[in-house]
Amino acid sequence: LFFSYFKELVGKEVTVELKNDLAIRGTLHSVDQYLNIKLENTRVVDQDKYPHMLSVRNCFIRGSVVRYVLLPQDGVDIDILHDATRREARGG
Amino acid sequence: MAAPGSGLQRFADVAGDGAPRLDAAAGEELVRVDRAASVALGGRSPEPPGTLFVTTRRVIWLSEAEKGKGYAVDFLAITLHAVSRDLEAYPSPCLYTQIEAEIGTDDEAGESNPEANDELELSKVSEMHIILGDPGQFLEIVLGIANTCILDRASVDALFDVFCHCAELNPDPNAERNGENGWFHGEDRTGGGWVHGDEDMVDENGPQFFNANPIGQNGEYDLSHSVFEVRKEFVYLQINDQRFEDAEEEQESHENGH
Repeated sequence: LFFSYFKELVGKEVTVELKNDLAIRGTLHSVDQYLNIKLENTRVVDQDKYPHMLSVRNCFIRGSVVRYVLLPQDGVDIDILHDATRREARGG
Repeated sequence: MAAPGSGLQRFADVAGDGAPRLDAAAGEELVRVDRAASVALGGRSPEPPGTLFVTTRRVIWLSEAEKGKGYAVDFLAITLHAVSRDLEAYPSPCLYTQIEAEIGTDDEAGESNPEANDELELSKVSEMHIILGDPGQFLEIVLGIANTCILDRASVDALFDVFCHCAELNPDPNAERNGENGWFHGEDRTGGGWVHGDEDMVDENGPQFFNANPIGQNGEYDLSHSVFEVRKEFVYLQINDQRFEDAEEEQESHENGH
């Protein structure tokens, strides 16, 4: 489900929050089957905590470390997502 | 051999020719070698130059000045990598990496006081910069500063790509695959169809993913459920839409789990 959904998000602005609380905002460049994420035009949400990220513009994030991905409100097709998760919850 | 994915470790398994001994039996292969490369652990200053070895499983750095001194980290533990162009901090663009460390911050590893003790707690190092030296120093003199920067940029960009490639070679052992191989860049959508839930990602045990165990701390934690937890959280917490009200019950228990 999520890989397909992520494909819809490519090119959109997302914020990825990692399990270490780091939040990175950027344009979703690509995603793979393990939900590894490549972001472009990145900027860190909480810059004080990770000053080394200030000069970073593109990054690769391991899928296993992503806590969640914040989506743009208007970039989300709620109907598709809703139907798909319902289908998922029912076990297909 | 140390447990994989356990963060930054010391490495001293070096063959007679100065190259690290790899786990050939497990299929580990050398992918890239960078001479005159340095690493900066945590917030510390860069080490004197050494040699960086990137394998299909991990990153190894061996000091040139101090024989026997070396570090290694599995790709399983490299949570993020990026090109950093902080020229005030480092002499050239470098690769910034984050490492999944033990709980406990870099402060304990001496990050707040980089010049302090030599006793660095590697297991707590969560950031590492890799600075590539310029092996073509003669070129630097001839071509001038601008071209040197181009050389540096090309090298570190190539290293970034190598890290991406090797990270993809090392998915979590229990990670659920999402069907298609390869990266999706958005240009070649095959109809944008949805992957049906009955074909994959069926959790036959039901929604057991709302556990209180922090992800990553318990070595016996079921990674397949932790991955699923991430995904469910993605759906139910981040979409504030009233049409998701039927998921509230799960949302509440999930928030309790945090």
